[in-house]
Order: sequence, then C-alpha cells, then structure tokens
Amino acid sequence: MNIGIGLWCLQSTATSPRSFGQAYQDLTGDAQLAEANGIHSLWLSEHHGYYDGYCPALMPAASAALAATQNIHIGTGVLLLPLHEPQRVANAANLLNERSQNRFHLGLGMGYRPIEYEIKQKNISQRLQLMNAGLDEIKAHTTAPTWVGISSEKAAERAGRRGLGLFISGAFSKEVVNTLIRAHRNAWEKSDPSEDSPPPVGLLRNLWIVDSEIERRQALDWVRSSYLVYAGLGWGADNTGVDFVSEIETSMDEVEKSATVGSAEQIAEELDGYDVDLVVCRIGYDQPPRSALTEVIERIGRELTPLVNNSRGKQ
Amino acid sequence: MRLLLDLRNTKNPAEREQLAREADECGIWGVVVTGLQGGECVEASAIAIATSHVVVVVDIDGQNVHPTTLAEEISVLDQIAQRRTMIIFRGPSSSRTVVTTLLSGLPSEGLILSPPPAQASIPVHSPEEIPQVDLPEDLTEAAAVIDRHRDLPAAFLIVSWDRSIKELARHFVGRATSTDFPQMVADMADQIDPINQ
Repeated sequence: MNIGIGLWCLQSTATSPRSFGQAYQDLTGDAQLAEANGIHSLWLSEHHGYYDGYCPALMPAASAALAATQNIHIGTGVLLLPLHEPQRVANAANLLNERSQNRFHLGLGMGYRPIEYEIKQKNISQRLQLMNAGLDEIKAHTTAPTWVGISSEKAAERAGRRGLGLFISGAFSKEVVNTLIRAHRNAWEKSDPSEDSPPPVGLLRNLWIVDSEIERRQALDWVRSSYLVYAGLGWGADNTGVDFVSEIETSMDEVEKSATVGSAEQIAEELDGYDVDLVVCRIGYDQPPRSALTEVIERIGRELTPLVNNSRGKQ
Repeated sequence: MRLLLDLRNTKNPAEREQLAREADECGIWGVVVTGLQGGECVEASAIAIATSHVVVVVDIDGQNVHPTTLAEEISVLDQIAQRRTMIIFRGPSSSRTVVTTLLSGLPSEGLILSPPPAQASIPVHSPEEIPQVDLPEDLTEAAAVIDRHRDLPAAFLIVSWDRSIKELARHFVGRATSTDFPQMVADMADQIDPINQ
C-alpha cells in the first residue's frame, strides 16, 4: 500500500487568507518536503469560479510540482472532466508523463456544482454522458495511470468496466468503501479484461497523526472546519444521506466519525483493514498553521509510511 | 526592443529546460514555448519553475476550447511564474476578447477569474503582432537584422538561435535595446572571455 497526501487546493479562504503566490510556492515546497520524507504522492483538487481561488487548472499546477521534484508522484484528485475538452486533457497528461518519467496520475471526476457547468456552458443534466464519453477518449489517448473519483456503486462499476482505477471519496465508512471496491472489482472481472491484475484502488482519508488527546481534539476540529469549504461549495456526499449545506453540524459530525486520527501505529492498524493500493491522507486543510502541516507531512513519511508498507494491504 | 528566444521547435524537454535556464542566466528577456493543444501551460509551468527572471511566453492554440478554461490555465501559470507570463494567442477573436478581458482582472459574462492573474494584466498578443526571425550565424548579418527590427520599431522580436545563448546575449540584447550599442565592447569580450560553441 502506497501513502500519498492531499488535497492541495491552492486556496486563500476567508478562514485563512494568504497570497496566491505563497500558495503556489507552498505547493512546490510541500511536494519537495513530502518527497524528502518518502511519501509516494501528492494530490491536487479542482473547482471553478469560487471566491477563494480553489485551483481551476490542475495541469499547470501538477507540472510545477513535478518540475520541482525528482521522485514523488503527483496526481489530480480529481480533475472535473466534463468541464474540459478530453483531448486537451489527454495531451497535457501525456506531456506531464513525458516530462516527469511517468510520475503523473490522472484522477477524474464529474463535479456537482451547477455554476461550474454554467461557466463552461455545459448542461449539468448531461454530465454523465459527458463523463462517459470523456473517459473513453482519455482511455484511448493517454497512457497516464487514470483514476476515477467516485461516490456510488454505479460509478465504481463504470470505472471497473473500463479498466480504470478508483479514487474513493474521504468521508465514507469502511463498509461503504468495501462495497464500492467490490462493485469495481466485479465490473472489471466481468469485462473480460486483458490485464492480469485489477486496476488500482485509491482511498482518500481524513487523517492526522497526534500524540495526545489535546492534539487529537485539535486535529478533529481542523477536519470539521475544512468541511465549511465544502458546505460553501454546496457539497453533498451521496451515500451518507447528509446534506452538507443545510445540516452543517450534522455533516461535520459525520466527517469527524470517518476521520482517522491517532498515533502512526493506530492509523496503520486502521488502514490495514482496507484492500486498497493507495491511501491519500487528506491533510490539506486551511486552518492548521504551516508548522503543523509540515510536521504532519514529515510524520506521515517517516512514521506511517514504513508501517503501512509492511502491512498486509495490497502492495 | 526585447528579444524572445524561440524554444517551440526544440523537441527534447530537457534541452528546452536547459536553454531556458541559460536564457534566464544571461538576461534574455523571454522564451517562447508551446505544446500540443492543452499542453502549452504544462510546458510553460515547468519552464517557469526552472527559471527565475525570464518571461515565459506561451504560444496557445485557442481553437475548439472554452476561453474560460484557457484563462484559468494562464492565470494559474502566472501565479506559478510569479508575474512572468505573456501570451501569443491563436484562435477566434471572440475567444481572444474573453481571454484578454479575464486576464485583465475584469469580468466576462459575470465571471471573474479566481485566482486572478498575479500581474495586473497578462499581455495577450496575436502571432502577427510579434515578428520572428532565424538569426543568421554571421554576427554582422545578425546585427543588421536586429537593428532593422529595433528601428521599425518593434517591441518584441522572436529569434531562433542555434549557437550559444551567452553569445546571443552578449551581442544582441544590448543592441536590441540601444541605437548606439558599442559593438567594440562585445567584440573585446569575445577575446577576453571566448565563448565555446
């Protein structure tokens, strides 16, 4: 099992304002720090037209992080494919892989904000058709490892049928995660695949390494507050039955329950129960001070990664 | 007049990066890069990370792509490049208008770019606005080409140059910016500090 970190959104939020220049400098610095500490990958996230500058163009950002490093992998977690022209995305992915000796991962999702479809003059009711057509075009035109961000069994099946990897949202319980993985695997097996092994599965987890109860409470508060951003974006997690906009406290309680916060040993034990190839530790919250973020990057690399690499999870 | 080193025909990414670094070190004003459609800002971003001062001029294909997508990519690039972005735009004039408006920090159809460009306004040019030349190997002939474009006057000149970047900088950067460039100084510098080809 590989360990990555995410999600870098390059924001300047109302909660934690900063210059965008600093945010993009921090991206390359954080990628270098993660690389120096043996972390497998760093993942970026995309939205459009949001007040806080949430990164709307992941490929140039990924290029910067790849250019500033030598070994770490950089992924999009996820690029909202129906809002782009698929052939352009494929061309960019191929160039990123060529320039980085295959260190780029293309994570793709559909998006859910009506305003983003309006900005790109696309019909949100067509998003599934746009996504499916886009996935077929991407599959045909790029060799970059491709992951599909999903939050439902049907979406997992679509990825499995195409032989594409899964990138599973961070707020799901273990039971939901395992259901999604089974749906993906079954669809792949039924597709008469030419590959010997199933496409990879990645799992996003809200996660923080702590040493005390006080630190644990602090970390959980950071996880909770980070979902204010998603409430602002109008986010809803399909399988939780939670409305993140109107029931913000309930939503934060649900997110807190799914968070993995503890010592490196406790976290490794928890992650050992997932049959996945990659866990992306979601630590890119906007509230923690820089010192806390850099410390947790170091600890994920030095403490958690060796434990997980030795676990029973998929290698 | 400012010189822009053309890297669009340099096929090897490592070579492009090395030439951009040399241009950066020698004070060339800008480098021109591109890529397959969709890869233009990917290439430019990698060049921006490899350099500190040189302006990254991106030649962008704006056909069959939403102009907001282009503006978003360029704006993110400008944050990465720390205000060193300039655009050569090939595409419909309607798209160019939207891109130029958004990259000036102004709204287009109700949308304002977020993040905004790092610069107050990112320059957007059409290809015909910037002349380009293959500079002759003969330094005297090349100097005449530079003089001619400087005196048009042209604000920018894209140059293809197969020899040393330091030689390009030594002989032509000053000439491009001055009507009384002391050629003797450049010639003596060649004797004191010969440039190995």
